[in-house]
Amino acid sequence: MIIFLFIALLLALIVIIFLLSVLHSVHKKLALIKDALGDIKTGNLNRRILADTNDMTKQICFDINEIATNSQSRLIHQKKSEQAYKRLMTSLSHDVKTPLASLVGYLEAVENKIVTGEEKDEYISVAYDKANHLKHFVEYLFEWVKLDSGEQIFHFELFDLNELSRSIIADWIPVLENNHFEYEFEIPETEYLIRIDTNAYTRVLNNLFSNIITHSDGSKMSLRISENSQRAEIIVSDNGKGISDDDLPHIFERMYQCDHSRSARGNGLGLEIAKKLISVHKGTITARSTPGVETVFTIILPASL
Amino acid sequence: MNEYVIETKQLTKVYSEQTAVNAVSLHIKKGQIFGLIGRNGAGKTTIMKMILGLTPVTSGQVNIFGSNIIGQEKKVFPRIGAIIETPGFYPNLTGTENLEIFALLRGTAAPHAVEDALKIVGLPYKDKKLFCKYSLGMKQRLGIANAVLHDPEILILDEPTNGLDPIGIAEVRDLLKKLSAQRGKTILISSHILSEISLLADDIGIIDHGILLEESSMSELKKKNRRYIQLQVSDIPKASLILERQFSIRDYCVKDDHTLQLFDTSADIGQINKTLISQDVTVSSSQLCNDTLEEYFKKITGGEGIA
Repeated sequence: MIIFLFIALLLALIVIIFLLSVLHSVHKKLALIKDALGDIKTGNLNRRILADTNDMTKQICFDINEIATNSQSRLIHQKKSEQAYKRLMTSLSHDVKTPLASLVGYLEAVENKIVTGEEKDEYISVAYDKANHLKHFVEYLFEWVKLDSGEQIFHFELFDLNELSRSIIADWIPVLENNHFEYEFEIPETEYLIRIDTNAYTRVLNNLFSNIITHSDGSKMSLRISENSQRAEIIVSDNGKGISDDDLPHIFERMYQCDHSRSARGNGLGLEIAKKLISVHKGTITARSTPGVETVFTIILPASL
Repeated sequence: MNEYVIETKQLTKVYSEQTAVNAVSLHIKKGQIFGLIGRNGAGKTTIMKMILGLTPVTSGQVNIFGSNIIGQEKKVFPRIGAIIETPGFYPNLTGTENLEIFALLRGTAAPHAVEDALKIVGLPYKDKKLFCKYSLGMKQRLGIANAVLHDPEILILDEPTNGLDPIGIAEVRDLLKKLSAQRGKTILISSHILSEISLLADDIGIIDHGILLEESSMSELKKKNRRYIQLQVSDIPKASLILERQFSIRDYCVKDDHTLQLFDTSADIGQINKTLISQDVTVSSSQLCNDTLEEYFKKITGGEGIA
């Protein structure tokens, strides 16, 4: 009898000790959660609460973490659009001021009759060119800002990539001929259906082509398209002056140009816009270059989007 | 918020005769990538080890999240992810199994933590490949996956691109940039390759023979890496017209209402000044800035430069 009583007492004691230890660990855990919550409340959205597999509070911890993660990504998104706006302002002040100043310089010379006759006509034509460049730049800039802040809306539809490419090229042939470029196109005759935003794709090719005409100083360009069941590969190349190894890793980064000298004609936005547009299609655009020999841009678009 | 997530105060480490780290005071801001640069043996790893409590501090102190880590280790270290030297994984287990062990040891911040961590670094989940069969690049990536497994606030990475090929280096760089930009992580990274760090870091600390030679923001340093001629003139439009028509200079930039920068440093400043003044444009100053980052580093490290 006594033995039973003793065993019962022992069992009760063990249970009590076990419960106390559970209580203690829950208590410790709660203190940790409280600490972390205080931190999160004061704005540290990076804070996470770690939980073990058998933890009673596991789900609570995970949920708190998820809330913190979500509000953090919202905050970061918001910061990003603020930065885009800041970059727009920097860009406006740097890239608009310079051409505008020289435009005013030319027009002043005309206005004050410093130049006359043929020279005056030439000044006006230079000023006109500059104004046009400025106009294009501002258009690019707004497009870039729209993309950068994620406000651009895309319309994906099933299109024949080959047919679409041919129709884009058709518009470029007279321009290429006027600029004395030899050209070569290799586009499969078959149909290749792909979900694509036609405006975006057209924009990308236009940017690459106009870069070649304005910047490459080359005499030859080509466009080759090859496709398989997984992906389409679009290769645009020229034989111009190329891009140096130092610059190559940065050509798709707009901000990179800000630290560097640049020619009055370039605006550096074309390639970044192209990259953003291609990445919206879950594709990639890469470049390689052997200066003076050839420069090759390769676009890869996945077949299923 | 301008608080320092990691701050070291006069941190010093003496190994018997040799002072490996000498009174280093670092200030690492929240959400920034801090690059610690120096040659091999400069003391980078030792600093990181002291921050992580892996080696005792001789003198000085380490503050993490605003308070001294002594006595706070259990609270602070779960909020850090780190790779110091080669990460230790079990060679006869797969990458996933290895991470699952670490997840059990440390706890996790979300369900599917292992799967997410592998996804971040681009390794397959539940792959059958054993760790010992991994390439160096995959091993490094698994190391990073392990460091981000518990979604920590700070990442401390000792030469994470060591032994990677150029493509691998670029991938790790993009990954770290993403972690910083999209997830707000604070990252302390060391490297002996200047060009590497300059593409990545927001702030930079230069260590040489255990001494912190300079701590500064990258944008501040990049300003020292510019080559241009700067002109202060009274009439910008007129000056730009003269530059274009008479000197055929197109590579210039208008900085503000009176400042022009020419990027061709071989231009004849004397002649330009003379021409501008002769046409009623007052030039109040003209100067040539001709420094490169490499030269700057050579200067501050006493001529030896940084690899």
